[in-house]
Amino acid sequence: METIIKLENIWKIYQLGKVQVPALRGVNLEIKPGSFVSIMGPSGSGKSTLLNMIGLLDVPTEGKIFVKGKDITFFSEDQLAFLRGKTIGFVFQEFNLLPNLTALENVILPMIFQKSSEKEQKERAKELLIKVDLKERMNHQSNELSGGERQKVAIARAFVNNPEMVIADEPTGNLDSTSGKLIMELLVDFHKREKKTIVVVTHDPNIASYSQEIIHIKDGQIVSNHKQASQVLWSQAK
Amino acid sequence: MVPSEIIQYGKIAIRNLKTRSLRSWLTIFGILIGVFLIISLLSLSEGLKETISKQLRSLGSEMIFIMPGDISNPLTMFMGGAKLEKEDLEVIKKTEGVERVLTMSYQSIVARYDEEGKTVFLAGLPLEEGRDLLEKYQGWSLADGRWPSSARKEIIIGQQLVKDFFKKELKVDSEIVLKGTKFKIVGILNSLGSKTDDSFVYMDMNLYQDITGDKRGTAQTAIVKVEDLSNVDKTAERIKENLQKIRKRVAGGDSVDFSVITSERMSGIAGSIMAIIQLMVMIFASIAILVGGIGIMNTMFTSVRERTREIGIMKAVGAKNSSILMIFLIESGIIGLAGGLGGTILGIVLAKLIESYGQVHPIFYFKASLSIGLILFGFIFSFLIGCLSGYFPAKRAANLKPVEALRRYE
Repeated sequence: METIIKLENIWKIYQLGKVQVPALRGVNLEIKPGSFVSIMGPSGSGKSTLLNMIGLLDVPTEGKIFVKGKDITFFSEDQLAFLRGKTIGFVFQEFNLLPNLTALENVILPMIFQKSSEKEQKERAKELLIKVDLKERMNHQSNELSGGERQKVAIARAFVNNPEMVIADEPTGNLDSTSGKLIMELLVDFHKREKKTIVVVTHDPNIASYSQEIIHIKDGQIVSNHKQASQVLWSQAK
Repeated sequence: MVPSEIIQYGKIAIRNLKTRSLRSWLTIFGILIGVFLIISLLSLSEGLKETISKQLRSLGSEMIFIMPGDISNPLTMFMGGAKLEKEDLEVIKKTEGVERVLTMSYQSIVARYDEEGKTVFLAGLPLEEGRDLLEKYQGWSLADGRWPSSARKEIIIGQQLVKDFFKKELKVDSEIVLKGTKFKIVGILNSLGSKTDDSFVYMDMNLYQDITGDKRGTAQTAIVKVEDLSNVDKTAERIKENLQKIRKRVAGGDSVDFSVITSERMSGIAGSIMAIIQLMVMIFASIAILVGGIGIMNTMFTSVRERTREIGIMKAVGAKNSSILMIFLIESGIIGLAGGLGGTILGIVLAKLIESYGQVHPIFYFKASLSIGLILFGFIFSFLIGCLSGYFPAKRAANLKPVEALRRYE
C-alpha cells in the first residue's frame, strides 16, 4: 500500500549560537493510510520536531520527505502550504484558534485558503460543528468557549478540508479527563468511520493503547516501533 | 486571485482592526490629519488662485497700471504717502502709444449715516470723462440710479454697501456724511466681481481731493489704455523710461520708486506667488501624511509581532505567503482609506466654512475649489499610503516560517 508520508534519513539540526543541536538523527518512518499512530517519548526527545516534519510545517536539514510517493524536499513554501491545507489537518495542545473569529469562522478558515465557495464552506463547517456537538455554540467567539469546546472546534477545523491525515499534538494535554476522553473519542470516531489517518503525540498510555502503531522516540532517534495486535480505547475497555 | 477570496480576507482584516479598535482609530486619525490638511489647504489655495486670476482678467489686457513704489517691495507700496505727481501724469499722457489715462486715488474714511459711523473705502476717479473707459474696460454698470455729476456733491456706491453695512439700508437718494460734508447717493453699481471693489464709495476726483486735502492733479494710481493692443509691453517700457527721466530731473535720485505693470505681468506675479504657496502647502501636507504613514507602519509592525502565533496557525492550515500578505495589506489599506475618507470630509467642511465666512467678510472673498479630481486624489493617495506603509510589516508577516511562528510566544 502507498504511504501517505515517508521520512527517509531525516536529520534536523538547530544552530544555537555556536553549538549545533541535533533534534532528529537519521529518522526513517512510514505512515500508511488509515492507520492510527502514537508517538511517545520524554520531553526534549524530538517528538515535536518529528511531528513538524510529518506535518510539513518544517523542512529537514538533511534527508527526504515523500508525500504519497512524491519527493517534496524542494517544494516552495507556497506549494507546501497548499499541500498542507489539502492533505493534513492539525489539532494542537494549545487549541490554536484565532481569538477574534467565531467557532464557525475558525472552522471555515482552512477552506478559504483552498479556494472553495462561501456556500460550500458554510455548509461543510456547520456539518462538522454539529458532528462535534457544538450546534448551539457556532457563533460564539473562541474566547467565549471552554477548553473542551475549543478543542472540538479545532477538531472540526482539522477535518474541514477532508484531509487524509490529521496530526494531533498532545490534544488532551490542556484538558480535564472528561473533556480529554471526549476529544479522543471524537478522533477515534473519525478514524473508524471515515478511515482517516491519525498521528497523535502523547504522554498518555490510554491513548497509546488505542493505536495500531506506537513509536517511541528518544534523543532524536526512533528507539522502538511496534505494532499492536489489538486496539483498546479506555472507554471501551471499561 | 479570485475576488471572493479577497472579500473573505477583507472580513478577517476588518475583524482584526475591530479587535484593536482604539489603536486602529488612533492610526486612522494620524492619516486623517494629513489628508484633511491637503484637501482643505489645496482647495482653498486653488480657490484663491481662481479668484485672483478672475479679478486680473477683469482688469483688461489692454491696460497698464502705474503706481508709486516698487512692486517687489510691498512696504513702499502699501505704507502710502507716495504719489504720482502732476509732472509724472503729464509724462505718461504724452508717451507714445498711450491713448487715455485714468487717475485714481483712494483711502479709508469714516462715513456717517443715520447716526451710525463706519469706516469705508473712498475712491476718487474722473467719473465723467473716464466713464466710457470704466464701462467698457472695467465692466462698470449701474444697478440703480444714474451717474453723478461732478458739479454736485454726488456719489455712487458698490453693491456690498447697500444692505447689512449700515443698520439702515442705503438707497438711491440716501445721504451720507463724509468728513463733515453731506453727499447724496445717486447710483448703485452692479457687482464688479470682487468684494473689495464692491465695498467702495466712488466720487469724482476733484471732490475727493477737496475733502481729503490731496493736491490737485496728483493721483495714487494711473490706469493707461493703450492705442494698440499689440504694443502693450512696448508702451509700458516707454512709460517707465520717461518716468525715470523726469524723476531724475526733478528729484535727482535714480531709484525706481514707481511700478509700471501690465495686467499680463500682474497675472504672472500672482501666478508665481500662488505656485509657491501651493508648493508649500503640498510640502507641509505631505509631511503630515508621511507621519501618518509612519504611524500605520508602526501599528502594523506591532500587530505582526502580536499576531505571530495567529500567522503561524493560518500557515499551518494552508495559508500561502501571498494570503498573509494580502490580509495585512488590506488592513493597512483600510486604515489609509478610512483616514482619507474622514480627512476629505473634514477638509471639505473646513473649506466650505471658510468660504461662507468669506461671503460675509469682503477681505476673505473666495470660493473653495473642490474638484472631483482632488477628492479622488485624497482617497487614492491615502489608500496607497496605507498599502505602502503596510507593505513591509505585511512582508515580514508573510515570510514567517510556520513552525517558528507557532513556537513563538508559546
